[in-house]
Amino acid sequence: MTRNPEQAPRATRPADHKTHPTKHRVHMDQEIYLIGLNHRTASVEVRERFALTDCTVLEQGVVPTGDGISEVVILSTCNRVEIMAVGNGPGVPARVLDCWAAARGQKHRDLEPFVYVHKGIDAVRHLFSVASSLDSMVVGEPQILGQLKDAYRKAVGRNATRVVLNRLLHKAFSVAKRVRTETAVASSAVSISYAAVELAKRIFGEMSQYKAMLVGAGEMAELAATHLLNSGIREIMVANRTFERGLQLARQFKGEAVLFQDLFVRLAEADIIISSTGAHEPIIRARDIKDVLKRRKNRPMFFIDIAVPRDIDPDVNNLDNVYLYDIDDLKEVVEENMAQRREEAAKARAIVEEEAETFARWLKSLDLQPTIVDLLRRSERIAQDELARTMKRIGPVDDATREALQAMLCAIVKKVNHEPITFLKRRFHEEEAGTRYIDITRRMFNLDCDDVPEDAHSDRKHHA
Amino acid sequence: MSSLELLSIAIIMLYVLGTVCIAVGLLARRDRLKRLSQWLTLAGFALHTVMLGLSMQGQTWQILEKAYYFRMLSWSLLLIYFFVWWRLRLEFLGLTASPVALVFYVSSFMLADVQSKLPPAMSGLFFGLHIGTLFLSFSLMTMACGAGMLFLYMDRKLKHKTPLSGFDRDLPALSAFDKVNHLAVMAGFPLFTLGMVSGFVWARIAWGKVLSWDPKEIISLVVWCMFAVLFHQRLALGWRGRKTAVMAIWIFAVCVFSLLGVNFLMTTHHSFNPQ
Repeated sequence: MTRNPEQAPRATRPADHKTHPTKHRVHMDQEIYLIGLNHRTASVEVRERFALTDCTVLEQGVVPTGDGISEVVILSTCNRVEIMAVGNGPGVPARVLDCWAAARGQKHRDLEPFVYVHKGIDAVRHLFSVASSLDSMVVGEPQILGQLKDAYRKAVGRNATRVVLNRLLHKAFSVAKRVRTETAVASSAVSISYAAVELAKRIFGEMSQYKAMLVGAGEMAELAATHLLNSGIREIMVANRTFERGLQLARQFKGEAVLFQDLFVRLAEADIIISSTGAHEPIIRARDIKDVLKRRKNRPMFFIDIAVPRDIDPDVNNLDNVYLYDIDDLKEVVEENMAQRREEAAKARAIVEEEAETFARWLKSLDLQPTIVDLLRRSERIAQDELARTMKRIGPVDDATREALQAMLCAIVKKVNHEPITFLKRRFHEEEAGTRYIDITRRMFNLDCDDVPEDAHSDRKHHA
Repeated sequence: MSSLELLSIAIIMLYVLGTVCIAVGLLARRDRLKRLSQWLTLAGFALHTVMLGLSMQGQTWQILEKAYYFRMLSWSLLLIYFFVWWRLRLEFLGLTASPVALVFYVSSFMLADVQSKLPPAMSGLFFGLHIGTLFLSFSLMTMACGAGMLFLYMDRKLKHKTPLSGFDRDLPALSAFDKVNHLAVMAGFPLFTLGMVSGFVWARIAWGKVLSWDPKEIISLVVWCMFAVLFHQRLALGWRGRKTAVMAIWIFAVCVFSLLGVNFLMTTHHSFNPQ
């Protein structure tokens, strides 16, 4: 835990100055830009053409820092490219677009029509909604946050982030977390196969002691089986008309292939049955299942019929301890969940808005004058609180004594803050260091009244 | 005596708060409230234990205030609730346990200062065998009834594919409710049988006859028969789920009738009426 701060591999450490031949001072007039395209603004061909997922391209740093741009983070997934840049001057977006197009060997003007450019609080808001998965094709899907974290890690590795983007990205992660815990935006299944697994959990609870059987080997059945395996099911059996295909699928899931004519014998072992054969007539009927239930002592069964026409006679649902969902039922569940997500998304947007405004306030305060004011105000507040407490304890005093005490506190506040303020003023006029020292001061004295969790930066401490 | 009354008020307050917290916690989906309810009920239970111990001082099993029986019943309910919670971690059962325990505790005040004389023969031993076992068995059935109602509720929703609300999503899986039923039936039926048999033996020793066609005895036999059917079907035929849930609810209902209806309204040697 105790270590020399000089050796700390901090993300906020300034880059070596030789890779940064910036001549001008970079602070105050810095602005956050977010330039990107997503599944709404660009078709899949365009997204493919301008994707920045290629590692070699990224390694070289698509948009080099320096020359008016001080920080860059690039996020590129199959649905979007988002480039966050901090720089000064209105030329930043154009420069980013140039570099981006050049990295893919394309022309600037081919890219421009598909791109949106956000600036300042709009950029912050957009990033926060992306991180909280409000901007995703499937609202609430969780992958985007991981992808953003990866993108940030890579940018830190390239030494392309400083005070502003470090804080912005960390804030984005915490906003995403807040949205996830405070709204139900990601709490329900929005794909058919996943909805089936959710329902299975409603019936069985802990999945580790249950077995599933695939009857027929459709693509959707395969997907559902994968979800079931991920949620910890014990075994998957496959009964397919062509045994070879069944065997192949069983091997894929490390399960067992069952002869199709043994279906009803082996059905007694299965708790979850996913049926997707191409049969024209129902193959599983209530009277067959009655017999199966007797053999398995009425342990519950969950039938998922994703075949059209249906494989399982709807009468099966009328048996006790048997639950049957066909494709339409599952679709309805999914639709219901989607509607719920949309409702929750409104709540989430309010959170994003609130956090974006807080961030914008912080960005504005990241200047010398407001920081000095905040610093003095903080000491002044503490001094007045303590004075009030002391007065209460010692009882009434005459005006002269009170004034003397006031004067003493005033002097202490001024003198205690004198050195830090002089230091800040001196450093502020140095290149690069300005915002960094302002940021450190704000954090050291907690001038933004952040809640710092106890386990903050625990990842760094372990590696120290 | 006034210190005991004070204790009683504290216990009631804690149970009321516990009930309110679990109800609000479940409906408004606040985990903190649910946990708070758990602690409030536990604190009430601890005081309850102290109170039962204190009021037993200087008393014998033979002559007890009738109110004491209801307090014991209320206590055994919570004992079983905490036991089930410890085994299965089902907090929603607090929604059944706390209010029912509260009802019995409060109704014990209707019986204040009414004394009950037990038949003198070996009253200490039979007190445990007859009353203790039946109280525990009743408590288990209360849990099974609560779990059964929620089972029927969720079973209906899943069968009819009704959209699930947030409250529904917080409920445990169907199999968890059935586990409560299993536990209650497997432990409850032997306890109930023991309680019945020891009651008849006690009657034989004390009054010289096994069965005196008392309403209470008849209704208890009815309950025993229902219980026996449930036990048999569960064990031998593997009944589970809806049918066992319905039976548990019926058994609980008849038990409550037997406890409140028969004991207060009919003439029986189990009567709680002032004689």
